[in-house]
Amino acid sequence: MPEIEGSPGTSMHGVTGREPVLAFSVASPMVPTDTTAKFKLPVDSEHKAKVFKLFSLANPHMLTFHLSWLSFFTTFVSTFAASPLVPIIRDNLNLTKSDIGNAGVASVSGSIFSRLVMGAVCDMLGPRYGCAFLIMLSAPTVFCMSFVENASGYIAVRFMIGFSLATFVSCQYWMSTMFNGKIIGLVNGTAAGWGNMGGGATQLLMPVLFEVIKKAGATPFTAWRIAFFIPGWLNVIMGILVLTLGQDLPDGNLGALQKKGDVAKDKFGKVLWYAVTNYRTWIFVLLYGYSMGVELTIDNVIAEYFYDRFDLKLHLAGIIAATFGMANIVARPFGGFTSDFMAKRFGMRGRLWNLWLLQTAGGIFCLCLGLVNSLPLAITFMILFSIGAQAACGATFGIIPFISRRSLGIISGMTGAGGNFGSGLTQLVFFANASFSTANGLSYMGIMIICCTLPVTLVHFPQWGSMFLPPSKDNVKGSEEHYYVSEWTEEEKLKGMHLGGLKFAENSRSERGGMVASVSTPNVTPNHV
Amino acid sequence: MELPFVFLISYLILSCFAASCHGVTFSSLQKTLIVSASSPLGHDLKAGKDELTIKWEFNQTFPPGTDSSYKTVKLKLCYAPESQKDRPWRKTVDNLKKDKTCQHLIVARPYNPSNNSFTWTVERDIPSAKFFVRVYAYDGQEVAVGYGQNTDHSKTVGLFSVHAITGRHASIDVASACFSLFSVGSLAGFFYLERRKGKVSEYK
Repeated sequence: MPEIEGSPGTSMHGVTGREPVLAFSVASPMVPTDTTAKFKLPVDSEHKAKVFKLFSLANPHMLTFHLSWLSFFTTFVSTFAASPLVPIIRDNLNLTKSDIGNAGVASVSGSIFSRLVMGAVCDMLGPRYGCAFLIMLSAPTVFCMSFVENASGYIAVRFMIGFSLATFVSCQYWMSTMFNGKIIGLVNGTAAGWGNMGGGATQLLMPVLFEVIKKAGATPFTAWRIAFFIPGWLNVIMGILVLTLGQDLPDGNLGALQKKGDVAKDKFGKVLWYAVTNYRTWIFVLLYGYSMGVELTIDNVIAEYFYDRFDLKLHLAGIIAATFGMANIVARPFGGFTSDFMAKRFGMRGRLWNLWLLQTAGGIFCLCLGLVNSLPLAITFMILFSIGAQAACGATFGIIPFISRRSLGIISGMTGAGGNFGSGLTQLVFFANASFSTANGLSYMGIMIICCTLPVTLVHFPQWGSMFLPPSKDNVKGSEEHYYVSEWTEEEKLKGMHLGGLKFAENSRSERGGMVASVSTPNVTPNHV
Repeated sequence: MELPFVFLISYLILSCFAASCHGVTFSSLQKTLIVSASSPLGHDLKAGKDELTIKWEFNQTFPPGTDSSYKTVKLKLCYAPESQKDRPWRKTVDNLKKDKTCQHLIVARPYNPSNNSFTWTVERDIPSAKFFVRVYAYDGQEVAVGYGQNTDHSKTVGLFSVHAITGRHASIDVASACFSLFSVGSLAGFFYLERRKGKVSEYK
């Protein structure tokens, strides 16, 4: 079956409809182990790990995992490092509310573009250099914070630092070169969730650094500038670790990766077309903007909110704000877990209901967060809101692999970009304006989440149904094969390009729910993914 | 099973009420103190360098005994309306507990009806803004009972402009530039060395 190395979406190929989010390993009959390879973990014929051993540093697979998620974590720390220190920075730079809001928008906008470019960079240079280039070239932008004297400088520097969030792409790409396709879902989900935690960790780290530096004798307006050196050094240290300890492929061979990357048989234009013309793509772009997007927005505004509304000390506001981002360690995988759980009984319809419930619950708690006047209640609602929003992120990527098989990579990328776009838009409308108080902004954002989650009711799969409609009774149109093979033209089918889609369709029959087992996969030789 | 649930609900409800307790309001206070502030440099002050001399005394036109409860005074630097615009974290609210107008404490002193003077060097953490000086009088329970300020009700006269420090230092700038160069340089170095190693192994 012609699987093309380097073509768009190949990093997600091998992700079938079957694997539950918590698949820790792939058993041997499904994917044969290469017994000649001398790695610490069992590997397949391409030397990709078949097992995900979380607390191991086995070279190269698990070492790569840890380097990868830590790099992503570091960029989150740098991007949101300013947020908990805004109460000090706004006095030093004489910022207005719109300056602060615009800087927040800028911090998430840069990566919309950098994430789109990053895929190509990883193709050209490999994920190791892609990651290292990004974090080591963004380290100077973090150090630049020490030069900033006014609002425009502040906004510009936050914009530049924000580009580094594209490490998400290098992280996921790198995982796909190291881990077998059948466990890549869990690996990527864990890496993404743990990386996102950086947005929480920074709310804790920066105020503590600020207090320590102040105690050492610096005035506040100097102390915050010095505090920024720490995220900057983290970037440099991670970059050096990635360069010295990391490798692109299990066999360490960058050249081979580049060679295969030249032969892109699936046309980018076609893949893009099938992504863009599938209406479900756009619904999920919108939805992710109000789960991930909202998470990024909160990372930017919540510390300042607690500082101002409840008159807390800076580091206390930081601790509370941190609990929001740190919830990612369990909340995001939880969303994927509930998605799989619902799917066992109710199939895809269960997954859709699960997503709607989680995201709407998040919206309701966000609405309450803005309304309450007491600190214990605010913290309670914030935590409930964080679980709802982050679980919704996890649940979203429990559905995305089923939208398209051919254009999976691009749809994932577009959804990710939708998250950043939603964040930028929300900050612009609700938090950059002096006419809304932050509390009102939060409540309106909650209402917006509830409204923008409604379109998930429109997502309909002919073979599985939607939230309110049952699947099509038609024998042809209501089959998984029809849906996935319709992405290929007759010409392409003659070339056999659709065979991967057929296999995927068979495996995805479990999405009918009611404990329907998938058709057993025919014994095919592993793909050259 | 039910008891913890009941406890949780009542805790949440009580938290709602706890937040709505009110403190002293500014409008309830009488302007019983006369306050004046001056600086030899006029009205433009530099943070960390220039000095402000504040004088305050009890306004004798009020009936004697009005100040019998006054125990301490706190001198505060307060934002003028011009510097509160577009900055909700400096908002004026009548409830003194929530009021954010006067965020910088100059000094606290025991109360004396007259002959009070204090010279203060503008501190380095004061932001660039327009300010006026307000003196609050407190009773023995630390509850505000009177005030005075060096400006009128509309807070537009007698204002001082403070020019803050930037917080930048040459040493920080140099360190920043050095670390940035190190980052870019080491990346370029690695890249170049690996490319060269790759070419050498190709020739072999």
